[in-house]
Amino acid sequence: MNAASGVTVHLLIAEPFQEGPAATSTSDALRRLGPAVQLELHHEVRVAAAALRGRHADLAVLDCRLGDDLWSLLQRAGEGATPAIVVGEAGDEAFALRAFRAGAAACVARGPALADELSIAAREQLQWIRRIKASVPPDGSKENVDNVSRYSRHVIENMNSAVLVIDRDAMVSYANPTAERVLGAGPGELTRRDIRDWFPGAAPGDVLPLQTLENGTCFRGVETVLTRADGTLIPTGISCAPLVDAKGIREGAVAIFQDLTEIKQLQRQVLQTEKMASIGQLAAGVAHEINNPMGFIHANLSQLTEYLDDFQKVWAHVEGLRNASGREVLDGQEVREAASALDATIQAVDANFLMRDFGTAIRESLEGSERIRAIVTDLRAFSHQDTAERALCDVNRALDSTAHIVWTMMKHSVVLTKQYAELAPVVCFPMQLKQVFMNLLVNAYQAIEERAALEELRGEIRLRTELQGEEVLITVSDNGAGMPKSTLDRIFDPFFTTKEVGVGTGLGLSTSFNLIRNHGGTLRVESEPGRGTSFEVRLPLGDADELL
Amino acid sequence: MSEPLPVVLLVDDEKHILSALSRSLRREGYEILTAGSADEALQLLSERQVDLIVSDQKMPGTHGIAFLTEVERGGSRVPRILLTGWPEEIPQPEIARAGITALLPKPWDDAELKSTLRSCLAR
Repeated sequence: MNAASGVTVHLLIAEPFQEGPAATSTSDALRRLGPAVQLELHHEVRVAAAALRGRHADLAVLDCRLGDDLWSLLQRAGEGATPAIVVGEAGDEAFALRAFRAGAAACVARGPALADELSIAAREQLQWIRRIKASVPPDGSKENVDNVSRYSRHVIENMNSAVLVIDRDAMVSYANPTAERVLGAGPGELTRRDIRDWFPGAAPGDVLPLQTLENGTCFRGVETVLTRADGTLIPTGISCAPLVDAKGIREGAVAIFQDLTEIKQLQRQVLQTEKMASIGQLAAGVAHEINNPMGFIHANLSQLTEYLDDFQKVWAHVEGLRNASGREVLDGQEVREAASALDATIQAVDANFLMRDFGTAIRESLEGSERIRAIVTDLRAFSHQDTAERALCDVNRALDSTAHIVWTMMKHSVVLTKQYAELAPVVCFPMQLKQVFMNLLVNAYQAIEERAALEELRGEIRLRTELQGEEVLITVSDNGAGMPKSTLDRIFDPFFTTKEVGVGTGLGLSTSFNLIRNHGGTLRVESEPGRGTSFEVRLPLGDADELL
Repeated sequence: MSEPLPVVLLVDDEKHILSALSRSLRREGYEILTAGSADEALQLLSERQVDLIVSDQKMPGTHGIAFLTEVERGGSRVPRILLTGWPEEIPQPEIARAGITALLPKPWDDAELKSTLRSCLAR
């Protein structure tokens, strides 16, 4: 970029004050952008926020070392429509994902290449800002009309979203380079092709741009699958709007879409991470529960081995007595000696006690093994229907088997009450549902522990199911610590956690929220600090015919 | 008159654990007392002199570590053993605060149990 374009852009940097050579790296990198870029460096969050509110900066660069202040600055930048580049730690993908979700225009990683990456990202952003600044509001002059149309074309050709324009006959009349890239087509290969070619096996009504063409319906960010030129399918998020001419007559439609493959992969990873975290908690609870019976069975078995040694000593004397008394010519002295040796051994090993306790030890061990067997049965019930397929599921059973498993870790401090109504089966992904129940139960338990640490508390978790029309309502309430409104507002945000480091992933409730939403249901929460929390899951019964 | 037997107090909410521990220690020459909770154990301690305490960690109500800390606060010098399935999860400062002499894993090894008790009593 050079100063010849004659436009000065204003760049705001917010980073905490650091001493030493590393301190200047962000601003140094940005100084490379040349004299036409004015830099404004802030170490004070409050001042940076005020500057962003003033909206005089064209681009903001925010450093992750600002901690939580980063997110409020990012929000402030978004409110003022100031694009923001975020500097994160290398390899922290979760941070990058969160930054993008919070509206960052780009995210670069701190590391040896920071200066290069930052200047490339800033250049990209600044190119657009320059163009916008250079395009004077249209005053109708030919020069300005040309400027604006050149500018618009430039924007469309360089944007990172795919754009397809179709004519009245549903033929593609324009495709931008991103559309060609996403659909795997060469330059110009998309034009004059039927839009239906890219919608695999869809009924005509499912081809969204056609609906737009026919009814003028607009769509925003609908997830749909498209076919690439090589036949592979890709998940996309698509928006459609009608194109109307100057007289208001519909002459075509425009479809804008993004390739969601990477986002979907990330979502799957997040889901997997969360599932592993839940399984970890489950495993800890089960291990505790199996450990006690294992403890006494193990001890009893080694004790029974000692008892057997003692019995063998007694038996040796029984054999001696049998030999002595079985001779053809009885030797009274020998028999008496054998009998008294037997008697002495019986006394020495306390055989009467051994006889009684042998039975007790076996009975207690059997009880222990029965308990372990019951836990395994619970686990089997819990993992029943662990399938990636949709299935008809008895929600009461799914909730109950999950509660039973989670129960093992909380039974010392919590009373569980259940109120199940008779329900119709629900079409769902049963394992996902159980994962949500487990999350809610574990959260309830942790809230109770939190309150119990402060005051005398009889912990209580109430489970309730109801059938309401075509919906099943599941309520999980606790009398734990509860949450203030500030926490409630963010409770379903990814990575938001109030738990100590290592206790929560901050993904449990956001994952639960998404899982329930994917089922066409809702997850709601009510809470009062110091009184407790209630989560409410609503699930549509769904259409069992879909499973056929 | 013979020496009185050393008195060992076993504390666990699981009665089969108490039974198995007593069974393991049967021939060790101790007088064995058992308690099903920290409260019951504290009651017993107010009535009787004991020479050694063996307590489970995870119990309803007061956990083992809190119970033993309470014993320590009462100024007792009785050696004490904490029985736990997850010895590595208990922070060192808490062990010190509760005046714990030794940790024993659960499930325990009989020989280790016996030798640990003997060495604690010999202190």
